[in-house]
Amino acid sequence: MPASPSPNTIAAKDLATARTLRLTGVTLDHRGGDGRPFRVLDLPKLVVAPGEHLGLRGPSGSGKTSILHLIAGLILPGSGTVAWGETEVSALDVSRRDRWRLNTLGYVFQDFHLIPELDVAANITLPASFSSWRIGRAEREHGEALARRMGLTDLSRKAGVLSRGEQQRVAIARALSRRPALILADEPTASLDAAHAEEVGTLLVEAAREAGATLICASHDSGLLARMERCIDIAPAPPLPDLATVSGHAA
Amino acid sequence: MNPFAMVWADLRALRWTALAIVALIAMAVAIGVAIGAQERALRKSSTVAAADFDLLIGAPGSQTQLLMSTIYLQLEAIPLMDGAVLKALAQDERVADFAPIAFGDVSRGYPIIGTTSAFAGRWGRIAPSEGRLFAAEGEAVVGADVRYKLGDRIAPSHAPAVQGRKAGEEDEDEAKHRHAGHDYTVVGRLPPLGSPWDRAILVPVESVWEVHGLGNGHAPGVERIGAPFDAETLPGVPAVVVKPRSVAGAYALRSHYRQSGAMALFTARSQYSQSGTMAFFPAEVLVGIYRALGDARGLLVLASTLNATLVLSSILLLLVAVAGLRRRRYAVLRAMGAPRLYVLLVIWLGMAALMALGCVAGLMLGVGAAGALAKAVEAQTGLRLAISVESPELLQVALLFVVGTVLSLLPAAASFRSPIATELRG
Repeated sequence: MPASPSPNTIAAKDLATARTLRLTGVTLDHRGGDGRPFRVLDLPKLVVAPGEHLGLRGPSGSGKTSILHLIAGLILPGSGTVAWGETEVSALDVSRRDRWRLNTLGYVFQDFHLIPELDVAANITLPASFSSWRIGRAEREHGEALARRMGLTDLSRKAGVLSRGEQQRVAIARALSRRPALILADEPTASLDAAHAEEVGTLLVEAAREAGATLICASHDSGLLARMERCIDIAPAPPLPDLATVSGHAA
Repeated sequence: MNPFAMVWADLRALRWTALAIVALIAMAVAIGVAIGAQERALRKSSTVAAADFDLLIGAPGSQTQLLMSTIYLQLEAIPLMDGAVLKALAQDERVADFAPIAFGDVSRGYPIIGTTSAFAGRWGRIAPSEGRLFAAEGEAVVGADVRYKLGDRIAPSHAPAVQGRKAGEEDEDEAKHRHAGHDYTVVGRLPPLGSPWDRAILVPVESVWEVHGLGNGHAPGVERIGAPFDAETLPGVPAVVVKPRSVAGAYALRSHYRQSGAMALFTARSQYSQSGTMAFFPAEVLVGIYRALGDARGLLVLASTLNATLVLSSILLLLVAVAGLRRRRYAVLRAMGAPRLYVLLVIWLGMAALMALGCVAGLMLGVGAAGALAKAVEAQTGLRLAISVESPELLQVALLFVVGTVLSLLPAAASFRSPIATELRG
């Protein structure tokens, strides 16, 4: 008689199910200047396991950023589904998608997109203000701990006066501030010089690992991609109607 | 949610634009508030100044000119009315009291007004704040703002017009036309009336007549002052203030001393000069002036409303442009999970804050401007204008704020439709 699974095993399995990202049969079409549609992306299947670090590699215009936007629910696929565990993100209405994004996702942008008029601490805790009137003590302390983890000491400095490397560290801390299960990073090192890119890349990967978060990183930075557990190459989708699949995808 | 950190950040980012917007709104509000407050203050103060002038009788001419000369002491050479009217008034049962008003002299720029002691005390309504009312020829009681002390000697000079003279300062013209040997002694000071009479020197009308060689209005050997004026021939006076016993009496007196009535009287009794008289209630003339003032105010308010509309439209366009420039910033917030309402509030509250600041600044600026204008009017005329902001101004400001903030919802609502991914790509 097979032994019944322990409660811990069930919980771990549930968690794994709840935090698995699945993109199934996803296509994305845009319209060209002549009004005719063209396919931007054709992704038959992509599954990202909980806590996995995935790199998206490919030339500019291949659709890496579009995949991140699809995952974040910022755009909806022409066909197919984007699911986070049991939640079909692409089927949620706008308000639910906003809430899902806030509670699940941390986003790191190429150009940091900090609020220059706010100080480091306020930038890190800004996402908390989307849902609460007051930034709680626990959130503030968590923000301070993240800042320290990123090597930021003076939290009262305005973001506008920070170096680019410092700005991206603040952006990473901000992305981690809500303890997201999924971190999307869009060319996080592209605006930095080599030394800072190395440093920031390391911090991003380590911080995601420490948080146990899934990290999906679109990048041209071979050094950063080398730190990912898995990379997939994104090639531009062939013109309609000859639909092709994404090359080198993993399931 | 709490959008205020972002609102503050947006305002800081746009500080120069924000300042310009606040200044524009403030100017638009200030113009409207200043016009409203000034017009009302002028109306109230001029009404208060005319309080003791129930009925005015003078030589035929311009009622407005007589009113301006008598009540607001904007003295000009106006025709004299036959002094016999004073005798007729003294015998008229409908008259509770009356006082001739004679002017034409000045001292240090202050007009010297000849009248009766009773009218100097405004028919008993006020008492001197210092000293006493005049009781004999050669005595004077000064208005609250006249810089003469009790016991000072006042040397009158002939000067029919006081316009252009600076109160408290003697000019060359005044020195040249002095009435030598006719000095007055200050025996009292009146409390502030808030009218140009605060800058007047009040003396017995008998003294004014005597200074000009017209006798003293009394029978030979009579040294008292005040009515009845019993000289056989009385000197002419520019105006007489009458206090009627009743409302009916007031109307009857006005009718009696109106130009046509006076002419009829002249024919019947042969008492008055052929020039006749005119009589009117100052309140009536003021109503006419207020009506004209109200029309002017209406035009000004219309102009200021149009101005405010233009300002609001410009600001709205500016805000739309500014919100457009910041679409990427708001898209980033959305990408991080900010709900649409949060972004809408960030944009709208920022604009509402600018509107509120502009309105408050405009209100203060408007009151300040109206106050400065009131000071200028007081310096020029002696009419004290009490500036106050009342419900019409507050309503006007509130309306501007409401319209402005409601309109601000348009650029804020536009953020609802903005595609996040497109904005993120810039």
